Amino acid sequence: MALESEILATALAMRRDGEPAFHGFALARRLKDERGSRSLTAHGTLYKALGRLEGFGLLTSRWEDGEIEGRPRRRLYELSGRGAETAERALAERRAKPSPHAATASRPVGRPA
Amino acid sequence: MKPERIAALVLRWAWLYTRNLPEPAGGDRVAEIEADLHDHIADARAAGAGDRHIAREIASRALRGAPADLSWRAQARARPTAKGAGMHRPARRSAVRVALVTAGVLAIPLTGMAVSDEVRWSAADFVFAAVLLAGTGALLELALRRPRNLVLRLAAVAIGVAAVALGEADDAPGLVLFGLLAIAAAVALTLRRRVRPDPRSG
Repeated sequence: MALESEILATALAMRRDGEPAFHGFALARRLKDERGSRSLTAHGTLYKALGRLEGFGLLTSRWEDGEIEGRPRRRLYELSGRGAETAERALAERRAKPSPHAATASRPVGRPA
Repeated sequence: MKPERIAALVLRWAWLYTRNLPEPAGGDRVAEIEADLHDHIADARAAGAGDRHIAREIASRALRGAPADLSWRAQARARPTAKGAGMHRPARRSAVRVALVTAGVLAIPLTGMAVSDEVRWSAADFVFAAVLLAGTGALLELALRRPRNLVLRLAAVAIGVAAVALGEADDAPGLVLFGLLAIAAAVALTLRRRVRPDPRSG
């Protein structure tokens, strides 16, 4: 569930930044920036995780309305009420419990695809 | 290589692994990947990245995600999505069963005609027997799936009795045998229900 937790935390951060709805690529870019990683999350891994979170009722999704000129329609995800609660709890737990990598590694922790 | 060419290949891969998946899961995934690829190329170009770098990045994302794509496909195939899809399968199985039994029973007089002069069935006889067998078979299949429905079992018994009476009058042992089998099947269904009561009845 590591990626799923990361997605929830990032979605919460995006919501606090005034971006409650996000699409797949925007999330991948944000995850990359927050991890300080060199690569974006793989397509299969990202969309499978988003599907799982939606299946758990932690995210909701909808397609953009109508035809958008110059680009394909995006699927927009949003934290559900339960998703926001879960993300808040996970963040609070993370803050209360220091990461085991924090003391030993200064480099960002990447995750496999 | 142009990132658009790699994107087209990735999209083709998405088409491949979403093939024959129930909608909207398959179509949604392809549309989502298409939007992602477009956004990726546009974003990277706006940030000043070269085409080769973008193409490499897209290929890397697709390759690293391929195992997850395949496991997602397996899950999507296993998941019953449309309400009707799960209900049609038993009906199809029933229809196949009835067709096989009908064909099997009709093969007996057909073989008899081929090896002996004593068996003489006309095309009309075959059609009549096929309708009778398939109709009764379908009725029994329905009775099996709806064990609480007494009317279906009574209808099967009525057909059986009619067949026995017709067979006796017309001196057709095959028809009598069919009638007896239909009655026996309906009785067996009733006994089966008594031994194993329907769990829904509490």
